[in-house]
Amino acid sequence: MSLVQQSNASGSGGGSGNLYDVLELILDRGLVIDAFVRVSLVGIEILKIDVRVVVASVDTYLRFAEACNRLDLESGRKAPAQLTDIVGDTVESGAKGKSKGALTGAVEAFTESFQSGRDSSEEKEKETTKRPARKSTASSSSRRSSRQGEE
Amino acid sequence: MATYVYAITAADHPLRLEGLAGVGDPPSELRTVKTPELGAVVSDTPPGLRAKRRDLVAHQGVLERLMADGAVLPMRFGLVGPDDGQVQDALEREKEKYTARLAEIDGCLEYNLKVSRDEEGMLREILRDSTEARELSEYTRRNPGAQDRMMALGEIVAREVQARQEALGRDIAAVFSPLAERTSEAEPTAKHFLNASYLVKRDEAAAFSQAVHEEAERRGDEYEFRLNGPLPPYSFA
Repeated sequence: MSLVQQSNASGSGGGSGNLYDVLELILDRGLVIDAFVRVSLVGIEILKIDVRVVVASVDTYLRFAEACNRLDLESGRKAPAQLTDIVGDTVESGAKGKSKGALTGAVEAFTESFQSGRDSSEEKEKETTKRPARKSTASSSSRRSSRQGEE
Repeated sequence: MATYVYAITAADHPLRLEGLAGVGDPPSELRTVKTPELGAVVSDTPPGLRAKRRDLVAHQGVLERLMADGAVLPMRFGLVGPDDGQVQDALEREKEKYTARLAEIDGCLEYNLKVSRDEEGMLREILRDSTEARELSEYTRRNPGAQDRMMALGEIVAREVQARQEALGRDIAAVFSPLAERTSEAEPTAKHFLNASYLVKRDEAAAFSQAVHEEAERRGDEYEFRLNGPLPPYSFA
């Protein structure tokens, strides 16, 4: 089993351990008031980076083909690269450490983009193994909503 | 000065703001705007405000505190009105809408669930199930220069990955939707084939979380379930 549960409602002033996971909610959902404006959100396109399904392209096809041909078919299933098995309230520190591969790169990409250098010293940046930002084209994040109980 | 808006609540919400700070550096001071029916938590808008980590954390922190004390409509990050008076006007103008939405989410919390599957496992499954993909893979392993066959393999696999992810997303969503008052599904991402928010009653939150644990256990090691919550009901405001 691989489950990461993050619970933040302890009144800790907003833990930032899971900020990336809920970023799209804070930035892209929530109520707006007609006629009010939103501050210019430089770097907001980072949000859209992951919002894409499998794209039909030469690059995608080659990547999948190469990934298939790298599989060692004899050895069977290997252990997943990052197994996070954190249950309950062992939240932030544990989750950060164990799911590092999954989380850290994303958080770094996000902090770099949002801060663009200014004030970066004061933000508590962790390891600085810089990863190249994932290249991708933006796509819209339309969503389907369903209201249960109204049907 | 422009007024940054964090949240709208009912007038009887206690609006405990002690120890909390608003967006900006130095942090702005929080205050409230009230009408007979509604309340809003606001602050001055710091000059040059952007979506920095500390500002996002401040916004989220205010909402988490308010959420603990009652129903709250979270504003989207960065929403700014001309001044407090116009916030008050908006509360007055839209009071029926806001009151109705507050009633809808009263006693409920948002849980966001993202589910991904280890790619390797899925690729193995595809090679096992598709004779065509398996043969193309065997051929291109022996003939690495066969670009056309590589592309053909990749195309089959990409199509299969997408179909399998969609089916998995539907299957897993069907497990949790019945446990929630409402569901809001975002588009899947490259990594997460399911990315959904659920509006769950406070007293059913433990059961919901338990159901996610059980499903994660049932699906096994290839899957990663990321459950975040309780959250302010961003997706249902």
